[in-house]
Amino acid sequence: MDALDKLGISWQLLLSQIINFSLLMVVLHLLLYKPVLKMLEQRRKRIADGLEQADKASRAAAEAEAEKQGILEEARREAQEVRAQATRDAERIAQDIRSRADQEAQDIRIKGQADAEAQTAAVMADARKQIADLAIAATEQILGRELANRDEQERFVDDYLAQQNGSGT
Amino acid sequence: MKRLLSFFSNPRALSVTIGVIALLALSVVPTFSVKELHVELAAEALLEHGPKWFTNGLLTTLLVDIVIILMAVFAASRMKEIPGGWQNIMEMMVEGIWNLTQSIAGHGSANARKFFPWVMTIFIFVLISNYIGLLPGFGSIGVYHNGGGEHAQVELGSQLAMAGGEAVAVSAAAEEGKPVLVPLFRSPSADLNVTLALALISVFMTQFFGVQALGLAYFGKFFQNPIKRPMQAIVGFFELIAEISKIISFSFRLFGNVFAGEVVLLVMAFLVTFLLPSVFYGLELFIGFIQALVFMLLTLAFFTMATVSHDDHH
Repeated sequence: MDALDKLGISWQLLLSQIINFSLLMVVLHLLLYKPVLKMLEQRRKRIADGLEQADKASRAAAEAEAEKQGILEEARREAQEVRAQATRDAERIAQDIRSRADQEAQDIRIKGQADAEAQTAAVMADARKQIADLAIAATEQILGRELANRDEQERFVDDYLAQQNGSGT
Repeated sequence: MKRLLSFFSNPRALSVTIGVIALLALSVVPTFSVKELHVELAAEALLEHGPKWFTNGLLTTLLVDIVIILMAVFAASRMKEIPGGWQNIMEMMVEGIWNLTQSIAGHGSANARKFFPWVMTIFIFVLISNYIGLLPGFGSIGVYHNGGGEHAQVELGSQLAMAGGEAVAVSAAAEEGKPVLVPLFRSPSADLNVTLALALISVFMTQFFGVQALGLAYFGKFFQNPIKRPMQAIVGFFELIAEISKIISFSFRLFGNVFAGEVVLLVMAFLVTFLLPSVFYGLELFIGFIQALVFMLLTLAFFTMATVSHDDHH
């Protein structure tokens, strides 16, 4: 015991130190270890969550990108189709219009021809009548009298003219 | 020679050199030099006629408690998810020891949770105890105890200057019969009561955790039937001695390191008052950390070993 005394060891002090340590441990456990470990765990969880979220978000972004590409592709194809269709339609319509215009032109030309022919015929008939008249008048002048059978004369001149006509004059 | 000249043309190098020479020169001036060494192995009672239990070691233990609790309160009273400043430091320490505990006792194991408060408290208590003894004023601020009437004298200032103060006072009082300076503070790690208490706790808890994990079969490590299994009985006997000697090795390792460190600092201050002790302060900082880690790691290892079944003969 003397040696222990020389080293300054006494059971009272020893006991007080043991109690001190135990109390300190309890206090630190409540004040420091628990909250810090809880916080560390909480932070670890939060970081893990955050990483997972980021992962999810990047996956979603990739999916959205793919979807966007798909939609764009589809839209492009549709636009292509619409354009092709429109081109075809326009061509057909143009074709229609052109052919109709042709038809109309044809019609107009034919009608014009017919009109011209009719007019010519009318003019010819008129001319023939006048010529006959003139011929009769001239004959009457020469003969100095009026032809008795005027109707007969006229028919005769007409026949003659028709005959001339017919023989290619 | 030319290189030497160019070195001293640098104003900073020049002033450092002059400072070093001046401090070394001051060290040999009698006013500043330490004239007497006083080394006391045991913690001393602060009051000459007061209770014997009120030692400087006990006072400093309470101081260490307060410091540690303040450290904890400042760190953990307003815990933030995004840590900063002091919270960061304490979290780093707690997490470091927690990871160490897990790596030895098993990740996420119940043992790790059980051991952690003990080893963490050992680490932080020993670390702060070791470091607090390095503060200026430890071992130099104190009261003079005399054989006769008590004339307390409290000196303030750095440890080195105080060592000078002590020397002056000692020489002045030399005629009236050797008064001794009793330091007001003493590093708890340099008080055998503290280290022995820690050692007892560590060894006792080792047995406790062993019994908790293995039941009475734990004591099969030490006691075997000498007739049925004589070899195991002998080994068990040695195990028992080893277990008891753990108390001594634990307590004297820490005490020896810290106490010797203080003596080294004192001796260095005695030899060359200035500058030379500074070098050893760096060394003491390192030793203080290592000893705290060693005490904690050994305790943790013993705890873990005690909970593992050692009956590998079946």
